[in-house]
Amino acid sequence: MKWLRRQKEESLEEEIRVHLAMASQARIEQGESPDEATRSARREFGNELLIKEVTRDMWGWSALERFAQDLKYAFRQIRRSPGFAAVVVLTLALGLGAITAMFSIVNGVLLEPMRFPDPGRLYVAQTIVAPRFKATGPWPVNARHFSEWRTHGKSWGQIALVSGMSLTLTGSREPEQLSGFSVSYNFFRTLGVQPARGRDFLPEEELPGHSHVVILTDALWRTHFGADPAVIGRTISLSGEPNLVIGVMPPALRMPTGGEWGPGFGSAPVIFQPLGFDVSQSRAYGEYGWGSILRLKPGVQPQQAVTEMNALIADLVRQFHIESKPGMTPLEDQATSGVHSSLWLLLATLGAVLLIVCVNAGNLMLVRTSGRYREAGVRMALGAGRGQLFRIVMTEAIVLVAMGGSLGLFLAYWGLKSFVDAAPVSLPRLDEVHMDWRVLTFSFIAMLLATLLCGLVPAWRLSRIAPLESLKSSVANSELRQRLRVREAMVSVEVALSTVLLVVGALLMLSFLRVIHTDQGFEASRVITQDFSLIGPKYTDVRTRGFIGSALLELRSIPGVESASMADRVPLRGDGTTCGLRDPDHLIDPSHPDAASNFAGLASYRFVAPDYWKTMGIPLRSGRVLNLSDQNRKVAVVSQSIAEVLWPGQDPIGRHVMSCGSIKSTVLEVVGVAGGTRVSPEQAPPLMVYEPYWEVLRGGGSFVLRTRSDPAAVIGSLHKVLRSLDPDLPIAPATTMQQILDESVADRRFEMDLAVAFAVAALLLASLGIYGIVSFAVARRTPEIGIRIALGARPRQLMAMMIRQGMLPVMAGLAAGLGAALLIGQLLASQLFGISPRDPVTISLVTLLLLFVAVCACLVPARRALRIDPARALRSE
Amino acid sequence: MPSRNAYQNQIELLQGTLDMLILRTLQSGPEHGHGISQAIRANSRELLKVETGSLYPALHRLERQGWLASEWKVSDKNQRAKFYRLTAAGKRQLTAEESKWKLLLLAIAGVMNPETNQ
Repeated sequence: MKWLRRQKEESLEEEIRVHLAMASQARIEQGESPDEATRSARREFGNELLIKEVTRDMWGWSALERFAQDLKYAFRQIRRSPGFAAVVVLTLALGLGAITAMFSIVNGVLLEPMRFPDPGRLYVAQTIVAPRFKATGPWPVNARHFSEWRTHGKSWGQIALVSGMSLTLTGSREPEQLSGFSVSYNFFRTLGVQPARGRDFLPEEELPGHSHVVILTDALWRTHFGADPAVIGRTISLSGEPNLVIGVMPPALRMPTGGEWGPGFGSAPVIFQPLGFDVSQSRAYGEYGWGSILRLKPGVQPQQAVTEMNALIADLVRQFHIESKPGMTPLEDQATSGVHSSLWLLLATLGAVLLIVCVNAGNLMLVRTSGRYREAGVRMALGAGRGQLFRIVMTEAIVLVAMGGSLGLFLAYWGLKSFVDAAPVSLPRLDEVHMDWRVLTFSFIAMLLATLLCGLVPAWRLSRIAPLESLKSSVANSELRQRLRVREAMVSVEVALSTVLLVVGALLMLSFLRVIHTDQGFEASRVITQDFSLIGPKYTDVRTRGFIGSALLELRSIPGVESASMADRVPLRGDGTTCGLRDPDHLIDPSHPDAASNFAGLASYRFVAPDYWKTMGIPLRSGRVLNLSDQNRKVAVVSQSIAEVLWPGQDPIGRHVMSCGSIKSTVLEVVGVAGGTRVSPEQAPPLMVYEPYWEVLRGGGSFVLRTRSDPAAVIGSLHKVLRSLDPDLPIAPATTMQQILDESVADRRFEMDLAVAFAVAALLLASLGIYGIVSFAVARRTPEIGIRIALGARPRQLMAMMIRQGMLPVMAGLAAGLGAALLIGQLLASQLFGISPRDPVTISLVTLLLLFVAVCACLVPARRALRIDPARALRSE
Repeated sequence: MPSRNAYQNQIELLQGTLDMLILRTLQSGPEHGHGISQAIRANSRELLKVETGSLYPALHRLERQGWLASEWKVSDKNQRAKFYRLTAAGKRQLTAEESKWKLLLLAIAGVMNPETNQ
């Protein structure tokens, strides 16, 4: 740019020189002498410099040049006070960086459409359970219903079935458990993706006998098969059975994980296998264990599709007295439903913190500009316009924000990377979080707002000065008072924002404490959990029973183990097997024993070994626990809640409930009543029926051991026992119940940590502001204080006076902040547990804390007032 | 010494007219700055002496606005000079300015000789 400019300058020089030459030549031709000609030509030409300058103006670059000049000046100013610049740039960097990082997360998780073609038309089919069962949310679907929908449905192009499962990969390496999805053949077609290598599933591969084919994810292909293209067509051993690898998915495939499909799914799948059973033959009622996604045809509304789903299963509903109804949710909503409000809450909180940072920076800039009033006065006297003064300060603000913003972007990028890698919480779609154009635009807008906030007030103040006033050596008291007013206003804003953040943080903290101190129904200390899965043709019913029985015997004899047991699912890990609760002796509709109208409610069923309650520390309320002698009887232990629902006020021992069998239900005799255990930390314990494990043999479960001392010491022996019983068994890492409990509240703990951190930061910044005000007020009133001291004022009176001055804006801000907190309390309600958003205790505590900190911030500079020497104070006027 | 403001005022007053005169002068062919000033002076029978303080800013402005294009060429006197010529847009602008000027003349004439308006 500069050489272009120089070129034009030189051209103009040349042009003028030529003109002068021609003009003098013309004069010479008219008879003048060369010297005279040159002189008069030049005289006629006029003021060369002035002409050049006016011409330059015509080039229209002056705006740019002015900006460049302002920039140079701004940099010089910043270099002159590096401390101030450092503080402002750092706080801006932290504020802008944090909010950019947070927005990246919000963007990746909530805003960005999923990576499937036309994701807006993908829906999750669900079952809306009849309200009287008080289910906590919609359920997955029934396979037979799905079969009807797939065969006859017209509202959707494709509808697919999916469920989480795991397979054990054996071969050259250690046996390893792989998470996978069991899917209908058209699963990938529904999503709109296809394998990058090999082929997709065929319809016949869904049926039993033909379903030993698998498709791998790109990641699994790379880590376990060395990205070898020849893997297609290879046979691998999964859960003891040979499976043919027919395809590999592209690397860009991002499968939503776990709870994003609906309840009952595990971690992200690495392998896909067809269903392996005929959906048209499966049971039409009771078994709601399958996730289902569908792709609506263009122009079809979800409501139409639901109506069609209802119509297609109308016959089945009539025949089997089904009470639940189909429903649909967009896939994108389903995936993120759990974290929606948390993320927006955190973003809003960060916005408040950024606001405080900007106000603080603005305040600091204001202090600086106060010191530059004299300089500004001189400039104005020399002809600078008000606009120019305004521009100078704004340019400085732009430079500071630009520096802070770029540093902030770098911090955000680096912070995001470590966050995603460490992932302290289970955010859905976390791997889709990165800084794209939307994030950069947001960051840019944030920087713009920051610039306005920081620079506007100081720039405006500087441009409004009266030049003559500012040139005077002392500053009028009224001017100072006005400056103080502005700063007091800013501090009020900071205090208000801090109050809101403190209330939010306190409420979240109290909620969290309440959650972890709720009685979960069992004793979490010193209990180890070891997951195991027995899958494959090797594990017949007999073999499975034998394995578990032998394992328990050996585990009990490990030194340090107090008691050992197993369950198909330990507490805090979800609902698990759920069936309608029926008392066969008191059926509401005896003519249709299997009808849903007979269900007294929905109960979670657990399949456990004897000693389960002793190992887990679940109290027994009456009767007895299960033991080995029950092997020939059909018995069960029920939770207290079941006893209260089915037989209120009566003795539950000896009564009967129906089991949760998929083939045929049997009648179970109730032999004991135990306390309820939670399936998730914030929901009340569900109705629970405990059956002995040998009744219904699942593919695995968890061993639980209560140890005498440190659980970790026992784990080695535990693994040795399992390996000795079956060398091909994949050994998952052991956890403790305490860890499971911590994981279940990890999200809430993280949110609380962040909110509290922000609130503390806000409070610190606000106290800095308060400190600044009171210092300023003391400095301003030094002569007055000197007089008061000279007239005999007592230290306490003076302190009170200064503290009163400092606390006034604080009180205003506190009142505003409390008002705002009460107003927005409703928005927060969904995040809280066991506490109202207007909890008076919390609000009082926050108020006291804020007042305490504010008074302390006032005290330090106020004490300085005491040390004023009256003689010197009066003289320095 | 005339102040900067005086120059700018001059330019503003004459701006429209000066532009038109320059464009008209160049209609007969490309010319350099000195030549333009001479031509205007000659054609106006020595009545209009364009100050160079107005001329050169006007020339650069017209060029920036796209009505003139410039080129360094060798003149017939074997001197290298910056020649300006009319662009197509400039030709259109000239026509526009000419009609505006004619309207202005009519208006002024109407005021100066009200009887002729009857």
